[in-house]
Amino acid sequence: MVIRRILQKTGFYFLILLVLLFTLFPFVQMLSTSLKHQYDWGNPSLIPQKLNWSSYSELLGLKKEEVKVPESIKRLLDNPKLSEEKRQKILARFTSTSDVFPFINYFINTLLIAGTAAAISLLFAVFGAYSFSRVRYRGRSGIQRGVLLTYMFGGVLLMVPLYQISVHVGLANTAIGSILTLVVIYVVQTLPVSLYMLGNYFRSIPESLEEAAQIDGCSRLKTIMLIIVPLSMPMLVTVYIYAFMIAWNEYLFASVFLKNFNEFYTLPIGLKSLFVSKNAIWDRIMAASILTALPVVFVFMTFEKHLIGGLTEGGVKE
Amino acid sequence: MASHPGSLAQQEARFGWKTVAPSLLLIALLIVYPVAYNLYLSFFEVKLSGQNEFVGFNNYFDLLSDRAFYDSLTVTVIYVIGSTLGTTLLGLGVASLMNHEFPLRGLVRGLVLLPYIAPLISEVFAWQFIFDPVNGIYNHMTVEVLGISDERVNLIGTPGNALLVVIIFDIWKNFPFAYLMILSRLQSINNDLYEAATLDGATRWQRFWHITIPELRFVVGAIVMLRFIWNINKFDEVFLLAPNVKTLPIYTYFTAFTGTIEQGLAAAIAVVQFLLLIGLIFLYIRRVLKW
Repeated sequence: MVIRRILQKTGFYFLILLVLLFTLFPFVQMLSTSLKHQYDWGNPSLIPQKLNWSSYSELLGLKKEEVKVPESIKRLLDNPKLSEEKRQKILARFTSTSDVFPFINYFINTLLIAGTAAAISLLFAVFGAYSFSRVRYRGRSGIQRGVLLTYMFGGVLLMVPLYQISVHVGLANTAIGSILTLVVIYVVQTLPVSLYMLGNYFRSIPESLEEAAQIDGCSRLKTIMLIIVPLSMPMLVTVYIYAFMIAWNEYLFASVFLKNFNEFYTLPIGLKSLFVSKNAIWDRIMAASILTALPVVFVFMTFEKHLIGGLTEGGVKE
Repeated sequence: MASHPGSLAQQEARFGWKTVAPSLLLIALLIVYPVAYNLYLSFFEVKLSGQNEFVGFNNYFDLLSDRAFYDSLTVTVIYVIGSTLGTTLLGLGVASLMNHEFPLRGLVRGLVLLPYIAPLISEVFAWQFIFDPVNGIYNHMTVEVLGISDERVNLIGTPGNALLVVIIFDIWKNFPFAYLMILSRLQSINNDLYEAATLDGATRWQRFWHITIPELRFVVGAIVMLRFIWNINKFDEVFLLAPNVKTLPIYTYFTAFTGTIEQGLAAAIAVVQFLLLIGLIFLYIRRVLKW
């Protein structure tokens, strides 16, 4: 009996370890390779023989690019008659910017695009969800169901028509137009889920609180701002983070709309272009991958409790 | 309540429509209209500049006489069924493990979610490294350690094997979703049921079969259907890991944006995909949402 119990326990922990190994191995591999020197890549050991921080410092712009200038040009540069402006021009020719991966640039692009889209989505959703959960009018449940259904239409189904529309409207030709289109697409893609999650949450707030405020002379709009919004803070944060994460990870629409505007790449398309470029260096790709994952993982861990609650209540969109 | 203009009920209704209008407008403009426009485009030869040319059902005839379309359909079916089945079963297994008490359970539960929440692009690169023919651990294990294979292979580079890798990747990435849904259902099962059954002399297996399974039927059904719907639409997970696995979305993408660009034909493929989806969504509504 005791032996059986011990065997069962061991088996149980073995299975837990197996699950952990399966889920975490790719991440460990990512971290390990990002810290390895090239000669070490093929080595199956996960511990780098010698730590290599250079890809991180390169991506974060901590390391100054070395300028290799031929001797003859150096002599020319030493000529005191040369103006400072000309000197910089000549130097620039030897500093090849082509193999510098503008990670920080892409990071900021993604942050701005995802942050804006999530904020707009949240703003629209607060009012829409209030209408769904609190205001009585005919046709309400019908449109509510319709909205819920639209969250199943995503990605490729909309790709060709949205591209055609933006070309016809003339938004696809300019960088600003393309970014605008992308932000609006992200807003719409996240909106049905945000409406659904917030609607469910608003319904859990006792109506008596609002009635009291209305008796005190608050308008409907004021009750939303003064009662509903403050009481829903955890849910608002959850919805914002979900919307943000969807936009942060999105590849398809970004690749379609930002294709011709290199300097506005988001991280997913930036990393993809790094991978297929001549600079496909594993340590750098892995370091970029870690740095891309870090903010999302950090935010998730911080708000884990709320986010998991949101997940199991249908707060997902793929 | 009186319903002359300006009555309370009417004011209420007006307020309701006003607050929901911005969201509705956006959704109509950027989801409903595009879906309809896509159907319209599928009857045209879409020119990148100039007037589109009406071609009737020609895009569909082209599609139906194209071998690549049937191949793509087959790949899609294998991918969707394989990944959905794997995701659900693994989720079920892990959920029943995590339902037991053990030290550091909170931490482990959080860690298991990592594949689902981390950015796809990062994960794809890690998997590509694992299967890299030169440096990857997969080839090291199969060739040098286990000796299953004589030479290092580029698994992701060959379409047949790549499909398998994509399915495993998809299971790895999405099982936490299934696990989480199932676990939260498991924890809401009333413990009295199990105790009563134990008193009645039910074995462990009997308890699992007669109590746990019936309680989980609904949530498992919901997961399977959602995964079906999502995976038919899935683009990025497949495209970024192995673009040579041509599921319908990938096939649409290549038709629309690479080589001889044929966006009318791409629209037609998307319509086929949409019809498949509508069937599943209908099932989902009847069985899970129960409208």
